Amino acid sequence: MTESVPQQSRQSAADEWLRTLPCRIGQIFVDRTAEGAFALRHRDDVNREDLAVYRDAEAAVAIAQYDDAGVYRPLKTAPNLRHGWSLMLADVTAVRVALDLFYPGRIPAYVAWRRGTLKTTPLRETLERQTGMYRVTAKITDEQANELVGSFCRSDGGCLRTIRWDRDIQGAPPSTLLPETKFDPAHDQMGKGEPVIPLLCQEPCNLLVAEARKVVKGSAE
Amino acid sequence: MASDFGSSGLLIVGHGSTVNPDSSAPSLSHAAEIRRRGIFGDVQCCFWKEEPSMRDALLMFQEGGIKEVYVVPNFISEGYFTQTVIPRELELSGRTTERIDGQVWNFCEPVGNHRSMTELLLERAREVAPGVPESEMSLLIVGHGTNLNDNSAIAAKREVEAIRQLGRYAAVLNTYMEEAPLISDWAKLTTTPHVVVVPFFIADGLHSYEDIPVLLGIEAAPSGSASERQRAGEVFRHNPHHLHGRSLYYASAIGTDARFADVIVEQVESFARDQHSISDNFARGLVA
Repeated sequence: MTESVPQQSRQSAADEWLRTLPCRIGQIFVDRTAEGAFALRHRDDVNREDLAVYRDAEAAVAIAQYDDAGVYRPLKTAPNLRHGWSLMLADVTAVRVALDLFYPGRIPAYVAWRRGTLKTTPLRETLERQTGMYRVTAKITDEQANELVGSFCRSDGGCLRTIRWDRDIQGAPPSTLLPETKFDPAHDQMGKGEPVIPLLCQEPCNLLVAEARKVVKGSAE
Repeated sequence: MASDFGSSGLLIVGHGSTVNPDSSAPSLSHAAEIRRRGIFGDVQCCFWKEEPSMRDALLMFQEGGIKEVYVVPNFISEGYFTQTVIPRELELSGRTTERIDGQVWNFCEPVGNHRSMTELLLERAREVAPGVPESEMSLLIVGHGTNLNDNSAIAAKREVEAIRQLGRYAAVLNTYMEEAPLISDWAKLTTTPHVVVVPFFIADGLHSYEDIPVLLGIEAAPSGSASERQRAGEVFRHNPHHLHGRSLYYASAIGTDARFADVIVEQVESFARDQHSISDNFARGLVA
């Protein structure tokens, strides 16, 4: 299904948010320096002076790879972005490359949502499409799915995305264990109550599918 | 280059991993290199096990007037991923798929099918064992082995046959991690004083950086991912390893070669050439 939200002009939807700075996306704070460059940093580090400075957009790959404890981050929208860095970039194109590396796929989802063309896919449809080792995930019960999504996708320790998909085609909520704000694009999932560009989730991710497999396999044993 | 790809997007599809950051590294690095060259209107990656997912990729290429998207699987062979998972997740109905908005998605061949694989494997062998006479050397190409509709073993056999026909090495052999001839039997399989092992894998992931060194006997147990070692300053292996009275040279996965960026671009060019020749033939009435 396609979400119905106010249409934006195709021309401006992509980077209009970079014209109003500072802005916040996920755990990242984007601002302009006095010299006109763009400066990205962790939202917790806004007032820090001791940041390691990087100037290449591709540096985002390494920054986003491990958390503060040096543990690999398979889910880039998990609320564990590393602290202590600043990324200074010359233009909007470089900012876009960096944000696509920090939060892969999230800007296209946001742009589509602003245009009113974001197609969402229910959890059941994603699971029923699977083949091979993940085919078994279609057997997850509604109760198991409710619990799994409520735990795996929660903003506090799970994932900072704003869920836009339903559990099934009838429109059942993804999980009754999550607060209403988890589905609200205007809500700051970091809990700071600041205006944010949401990390929209249009379809259950492959990490959730892999977790669903564990749940189904576990209950079968 | 004959074709202009300025209004085309490139989508590199990789496997990725939820446990090993090195799995997606080659795809990201080839994408960065191709982006730098400014050939395409947009260059993106997507993964099966990492973000962005293939489903996320359906939302890409909506800006900048992209008319065509070329999908290049960064996989060693045709198989389950190129034939089942990628078409399903990217909603591709064949080699060419037209979306509702008129954008055309072209499904190219995987990088491992490219004719330059043979030369890249030879180059890897030369780089890892410089100055060693080929007549005193056995070259072992190591692949994964049988898997769910996985043709990587067939692709590896094809490469070994091509290299063997050159008649330069004392021996050229296929080996696998999980089926005979096993890579762990390398000392029994060869008789030459020098043995070079090149992993026919896309990335220095779990297999080529952790499993195979243990199977070769150059390490006792898996000791961390490639990037973890790099951070510890241990990424460079100390070739040759002296084992069983031989000199053993171990290369990193073939897919980490920077020239794979050229291979990706050439898979797109090859697709575009085929398309043009088909349309030319239609225009000339040669195809019914």
